[in-house]
Amino acid sequence: MWVFAAARLIATIAIGLIAGFAAGRLWLGLAIALSLHVVWQLTKLYRLDHWLRHRGLMDPPVLRGVWDDVVTQVARIHRRKRHHKQRLATVLRELRESTDAMPDGVVALDARGGIAWFNRMAAQILHLQGRRDIGVRIDNLIRQPQFARHLEDGEGSAPLLLHVCETPETWLSLQLLPYGEGRRLLLIRDVTRQTRLETMRKDFVANASHELRSPLTVISGYLEMLATDPALDAAHAPPLAEMRRQADRMAAIIGDLLVLSRLEAKDEQPEGEPVDVGAMLALLRKDVLSRPQHPALVSLAIETQDQLKGDELELHSAFANLVDNAAKYTPADGHIEMRWWSDTQGAHCSVTDTGPGIPAAAIPRLTERFYRVDAGRSRATGGSGLGLAIVKHVLQRHGGRLEIASTEGRGSTFTCHFPPGRVLAAVRRV
Amino acid sequence: METTDLTPHISSRFNDDLEAVRASLLRMGGLVEDQLRKCLSALSEADSARAAEVVRDDEHVNLLEVGIDEACLRILATRAPAARDLRLIVAITKAITDLERVGDEARKIAQISLRLATLERPADRYREIRHLGRLVEDMLHEALDAFARMDAEAALRVPQLDRQVDEEYESMQRQCVTFMMEDPRQIRRMLDITWAARALERVGDHAKNIAEYVIYMVHGQDVRHTRLEEVESRLRGRAGAREP
Repeated sequence: MWVFAAARLIATIAIGLIAGFAAGRLWLGLAIALSLHVVWQLTKLYRLDHWLRHRGLMDPPVLRGVWDDVVTQVARIHRRKRHHKQRLATVLRELRESTDAMPDGVVALDARGGIAWFNRMAAQILHLQGRRDIGVRIDNLIRQPQFARHLEDGEGSAPLLLHVCETPETWLSLQLLPYGEGRRLLLIRDVTRQTRLETMRKDFVANASHELRSPLTVISGYLEMLATDPALDAAHAPPLAEMRRQADRMAAIIGDLLVLSRLEAKDEQPEGEPVDVGAMLALLRKDVLSRPQHPALVSLAIETQDQLKGDELELHSAFANLVDNAAKYTPADGHIEMRWWSDTQGAHCSVTDTGPGIPAAAIPRLTERFYRVDAGRSRATGGSGLGLAIVKHVLQRHGGRLEIASTEGRGSTFTCHFPPGRVLAAVRRV
Repeated sequence: METTDLTPHISSRFNDDLEAVRASLLRMGGLVEDQLRKCLSALSEADSARAAEVVRDDEHVNLLEVGIDEACLRILATRAPAARDLRLIVAITKAITDLERVGDEARKIAQISLRLATLERPADRYREIRHLGRLVEDMLHEALDAFARMDAEAALRVPQLDRQVDEEYESMQRQCVTFMMEDPRQIRRMLDITWAARALERVGDHAKNIAEYVIYMVHGQDVRHTRLEEVESRLRGRAGAREP
């Protein structure tokens, strides 16, 4: 093609030169021939440009020569691009359709919390409007103060339960997941059913315990009266005593159930009142020593004067449960050690015993309600089976956690860890 | 989309400042909405702890008002905004006053419910008040949503709701008077309920004001003290005139 073009140019020059020579004006002939050539090429260039501008509407022009080559190249590039675009559009459409089919709402947020994109469910739940809400900050639309705090606290925190104004009867669970650079994904799930079931369960336990308490009180009252009745046949005394023991145990279980359901009902963490854990442990130690049967050695190591911010009654019931367990499972020649110390990770309280220990497989399930390591233990000790569940709940409400370490045959250590935010450093005495 | 974006500025700091002050207004709005919701549930459930919480938290609303006011003044003084931005700042300074008043009304309702909580609850748990409260909550929510989206059309719907609230309030009053005549021992309680309804009706008015600021902000038209139909036709006319 380029050979042709060159040949044509040479031919033009030759014709110009010949015509000029014939007319006696060599250079003028050459100039006219070249000008005509330039005009002719420019026309083609113009037609090419015109086509490129209105590419969508016109068929490619027939220009002949080198120009046809250029037109074919451009048309090919154009076709390829359109193909790519279509494929991308299909992928995007499929992606959008699949996210629209999701039962949960999804909102993608940019770094400053503006809405970048959302799926159909999210639009339905939050009443987001098509294109209009792209770029609007999410906290301008979900204005609940809890949500603003949640957004600031950042990701990784537990999902937030919320009512939104658009759908006041439903409970929504909102969860933030980080992705990309500073971007976040907001997952919205309708958890009305689960929440309702959970409330029903809690209410049921609380109500049932309450309802059981009154008849039990009546039974215990009559049993007490009968036991002290002098006219009673001596043969009836042992069964009566057993009945009283069992009634007491039932009362203890119901009492613990009520404590647990009260702990569950309060979801906020108690406001901090300084609690002197050292003094509390000292009192608990005395309680153990005043029992008719107690381990030979009960030691107490208070290594810090720091106090703990929390609810005194709850903390007392948690520590008392731990100490009580230790006392129950430690033989008379055993040893209980209580420790209270603090470091950079917060404050810690541990209770170590030299009891029979706990099989490793049982440790994770220990804080479940009514869980027994083996059936024999419950009868022997007569606990309610709820003690460690109470401990776990109390610690959770104080931002802490329970750590259990045990070796079978040698003993166990229960450690309560409290976060530094809960520790009130002791004022040093001068 | 350009309606929600604030006009682009050479100085992006300025843009950030405007965006921040608008976000804090909406945050204050969220708190006030929360207060309103809480005081209504405190009333219908005779929950005096929650009512006390509302009374206590009103202080936060007041502090927010002062803070946002200061931020607006600072922008006015240092940036000398013009046109749209000026209208935004003016609308915000006005809207926070209304929001603060809504907070006060919520506190009033909370105080009334503290008093009513000591009395026996009526069987219908103040159905009328709850209904009115629902309407007013929706109004405030719509007005603030319109503020967030700079959506004048949504803002126009709020005054329409206000009419409904006024009618509802009217009928409640009549009902209360009837109850008082039937049973004079109930007068004390009925007065309290009337006061609560009155407070809610005022909240509706404030929500309407906020919606009007949105229209002012977007179209630059002051539509206060104008009949609804007239406002609509005026805005339609403008929109029509703008399109060739």
